[in-house]
Amino acid sequence: MFELKPMLSALWRNKVSALLIALQLALTLAIVSNATVIVKDRMEKVARPTGMDVENIIAATYMPIPTDYDMAGAVIADLDLLRRTPGVLDASVTNQIPLSGSGSAGTYFNEPNQEIGGENANYYQVDSHFIDTLGLNLIEGRNFTPTDEHVVGPNERHHSEVAVISKQFAEKLFSGESAVGRFFYAGNSDQPVEIIGVVEQHLGAWPGWSRAGNVVFYPLLVTDNHKRYLIRTEPGQRDAVFKEVEELLNNRDPQRVVQVETLSKNLERTYIGDNVMIKVLSLVMALLTFIVALGIIGLTIFWINQRTKQIGIRRALGATRANISRYFLVENSLIAGTGLVLGTAGALIINRLMVSEFSQPTLTLPLLAVCAIVLLLVSITAALMPAMRAANVSPAMATRSV
Amino acid sequence: MLKMQNIRKSYRTDTIETHALRDFSLEVNEGEFVSVTGPSGSGKTTFLNIAGLLETPTGGQYLLDGQEVGNLSDSERSRLRNEKIGFIFQGFNLIPDLNLFDNIDVPLRYRGFNAKERRRRIERSLEQVGLSARAKHLPAQLSGGQQQRVAIARALAGEPRFLLADEPTGNLDSLMARQVMELLEFINEWGTTIVMVTHDPELARRAQRNIQIVDGQVSDLRQTIAQPEVAIA
Repeated sequence: MFELKPMLSALWRNKVSALLIALQLALTLAIVSNATVIVKDRMEKVARPTGMDVENIIAATYMPIPTDYDMAGAVIADLDLLRRTPGVLDASVTNQIPLSGSGSAGTYFNEPNQEIGGENANYYQVDSHFIDTLGLNLIEGRNFTPTDEHVVGPNERHHSEVAVISKQFAEKLFSGESAVGRFFYAGNSDQPVEIIGVVEQHLGAWPGWSRAGNVVFYPLLVTDNHKRYLIRTEPGQRDAVFKEVEELLNNRDPQRVVQVETLSKNLERTYIGDNVMIKVLSLVMALLTFIVALGIIGLTIFWINQRTKQIGIRRALGATRANISRYFLVENSLIAGTGLVLGTAGALIINRLMVSEFSQPTLTLPLLAVCAIVLLLVSITAALMPAMRAANVSPAMATRSV
Repeated sequence: MLKMQNIRKSYRTDTIETHALRDFSLEVNEGEFVSVTGPSGSGKTTFLNIAGLLETPTGGQYLLDGQEVGNLSDSERSRLRNEKIGFIFQGFNLIPDLNLFDNIDVPLRYRGFNAKERRRRIERSLEQVGLSARAKHLPAQLSGGQQQRVAIARALAGEPRFLLADEPTGNLDSLMARQVMELLEFINEWGTTIVMVTHDPELARRAQRNIQIVDGQVSDLRQTIAQPEVAIA
């Protein structure tokens, strides 16, 4: 049995405080729902599969001191040493370290001599161990073999005849058709590159890039002034190998500066902004929800204290304890409902601005509904304890003179 | 209608125990108009609270309309209050945020009547107290006497068999008090049992019987002759 009409009349006579709480809820919903959509987007981004065995990979970068350094010879010797190191599954050379924020990209076409309409992709110059070292899943075609590999000097014009590409990039280039055996062209070149294999996933150098996941691997070693190795260890051996790598490389050849880091550290650094955003927005959402809950508790307690006599009168006139609790819960739900309706409109307006001005993700109605339901539950929970306390007001309060 | 036997009520704090009613025994018959008097602190209000099921006694037996009410749950007591007892309070106890119609509606909603039945009862009770034209007014827009008539209309709307009045004229001037008293006498003539707590000896004399409470006990049971002089217009 709800007393909606008299309840609304009574609320209307105390409209200022009720309206303030409703507005607070509206604002909270508008902010929380938009923050939720951002947090959700960032969490999805951070949780994207990299395609790599990130936890077990070490990256080593070195720069030789001599200017006439035998880079090709050093790479062969280093990789041989690393692959023989206990705990190491495989090692590979690369021009860039994945997920590091540093990389190279080009524009690719499926016709020669094109200038517009291409697709951008991140590219890597690697050896035939690269795919196994990263733990990439080759889903179509074949891996590189040593015969595919070429060594070129830093100032030599180089061109690979074959490449392995990511599935995402293959779908962009060939609209879902099989890419193996097909050709693409780098830039406005007329030299075809044959696709010999497709890997399921590789996020590339920049996980935040709009084309992240478009990746091309060439079997090429360019003997420029620095090189990078990727070392994949057996599970649980990464930290032990990590301690050895710098010393191993320096002992083999002390004429260089070596820097070692883990791929997971790279990934962590890549997502640091997203993780900070997730934490800050989550904190803001929790604080706002907490504050709105406190406001509701405060207002309900205030109204109950203000209406203790009235509660006693209602009890004397036949209201059960449940009637009294329900009265305050329904009253609170009416205020919350008003706030959430206003907040829904506010949230959609704010989101439209966020999408158009800051390219933020769109707030979907189901997500908005979930946020509204959560806030409604919070407001009901907040009002529950004061409402139950109100039910304990004695009906004898009606005969008291104060 | 009401039978109390050896009712005791005490209030306890950490250090003090106060006995508000001690071996209090009283019987009020169906259709009686009984006034209850006594000095301040004698236990009148405690008696009223227990009689109206607003409080539970510490001991003793209380039969309301033949039903032992001592062991009833809080919900059962609420239902019994709502169905059988009408209250008229000294301070009127109208809900200030609700208009007269909605004030009278409060106990009827708890009773579970449908909207049509509630409307019928509210309109009839407002008519009985002569305030039909003021149904949409707020209590604050009425005089004290009118507010008390609304409180009486609220009590009457549930058609209770037992009306408890706590100093019903205490906040009214003599003219208003007289009108309210006449209204109560008129209600009693319909057959409603009335127990009225009052400080006013003149009003007490108008009841059929006067009970005096001193130190939590019935000290005197006097039969009075009650003859309403004027019926309500």
